[in-house]
Amino acid sequence: MVAFRNTDASGRTTGLLLRCVLYSLLALGLIIVDKRYDHLGKIRRFLSIVAYPVQLAVESPFEGWNWFRESVTTRDALREDKAKLESELRLAQFRLQRYEALEAESQRLRALRDNTAGVTDHFIIGDVMDVDLDAFRERVLIDKGARDGIFVGQAVLDSGGVFGQVSRVEQLTSEVILVSDPAHALPVQINRNGLRTIAVGTGDPSRLKLPYLPTSADVVVGDLLVTSGLGGGFPAGYPVGTVADVKRDPAQSLAEVDVRPAAALDRSRELMFVWLKPAPALPVPAAAVTTPAAKSTPQPPAKIAPSPAKAAPPGVSHP
Amino acid sequence: MMRDSRVRRLPMALSALVALALAVVPLPGALDALRPDFLVLVVFYWSIESPRAGGLALAFFAGLALDVIKGVVLGQHALALTLMAAWATHLRLRLRVFSVLSQSLTIFAFLTGYQFILFWIDGATGNPVTSFSRWLAPVIGAVLWPFLAGALGRLHER
Repeated sequence: MVAFRNTDASGRTTGLLLRCVLYSLLALGLIIVDKRYDHLGKIRRFLSIVAYPVQLAVESPFEGWNWFRESVTTRDALREDKAKLESELRLAQFRLQRYEALEAESQRLRALRDNTAGVTDHFIIGDVMDVDLDAFRERVLIDKGARDGIFVGQAVLDSGGVFGQVSRVEQLTSEVILVSDPAHALPVQINRNGLRTIAVGTGDPSRLKLPYLPTSADVVVGDLLVTSGLGGGFPAGYPVGTVADVKRDPAQSLAEVDVRPAAALDRSRELMFVWLKPAPALPVPAAAVTTPAAKSTPQPPAKIAPSPAKAAPPGVSHP
Repeated sequence: MMRDSRVRRLPMALSALVALALAVVPLPGALDALRPDFLVLVVFYWSIESPRAGGLALAFFAGLALDVIKGVVLGQHALALTLMAAWATHLRLRLRVFSVLSQSLTIFAFLTGYQFILFWIDGATGNPVTSFSRWLAPVIGAVLWPFLAGALGRLHER
């Protein structure tokens, strides 16, 4: 105790130990409150607004460089790009025609089964910010936040497939945990035969694994995995990845299955945030449809699992 | 040492801000794991050279800023940085007369302690990072220390 009481050059006693204990207790208290209770959301949001300029300042040189590179591309490169995009667009439109027909058919069938629609509707696009959060976790920071209606648990896709889900929302930014994070698990289904299992991240953005398949499971290299929609967070039917390797050791009861993710986890810059489509015009009581809460809230009911087991639109269960 | 404390606050705040930005500036994948904790080194420097300018408040709020900007549990970096900065402040009179090598070694001890507290809180809050490469940052930080201290010293003298 005495050793810690230093006398400063000006002759003032600094009471280092006392201050150290005070600040440490404060920090410990913060940790406990933040971890155990969810009371710090507002403080966090406020602090994140303070931190936003720093993040912007870090990002802006990279943005500037990208802008510069884009603005000095040659005319030939632009023409080449344009031709490529046009052909891709043609192809996509061709596919979309079929998709719309299929979606309509799916809606009709679901309406017959008195179910809510599982096909997704509303997207917004967010950009990955050039900010490294943590070298040891697979997370990215996105420039959309609570202001844009993002919510925790929201599904995030890129052009290839499932990218991850929102793990934290601030006022102006949000954090997305990638499907490849070791702490992330995703209910999936093998598209070929409907076999359900769970895809777990490995920490490597080019690899997921399926740790819970028995050695006798019907899975072969090249199988497409899609989201099963169980668990409610993700819309069903989006590609997650293809099976890259299956190891069956007769001495083990579980197979080792490696999956190559469909999303470009380490390259994508534009991500889509998905809202599950609200129930279409189904024969529900009129009062439930026109509740002001359901109309004014920017978040359509995202927690509805599109599985037939939980086929209750919000508001119907409690009139 | 005896100058007006208000004069010393500006370089301190500036260096802390720059170091905070460096903590999240994007690096290519392999280098990312090797990123030294710039802000921690800066806080150690001011704890040793001029503890009255920022003191433990600087350490606490710099740690809090790291928590917010990295999106981890609030208070994690704040606790680690406060404890280690207090240790550095306690040893500052001895540290100032150390040779460069012994200074670097001491800083290595501080940085390792800092990482260990982070590691411990990571485990206690349920998302442990067991990768070995997180223990590389203290080594790099200690190697970087003489250069950083020199640069900050020049900023400080002016």
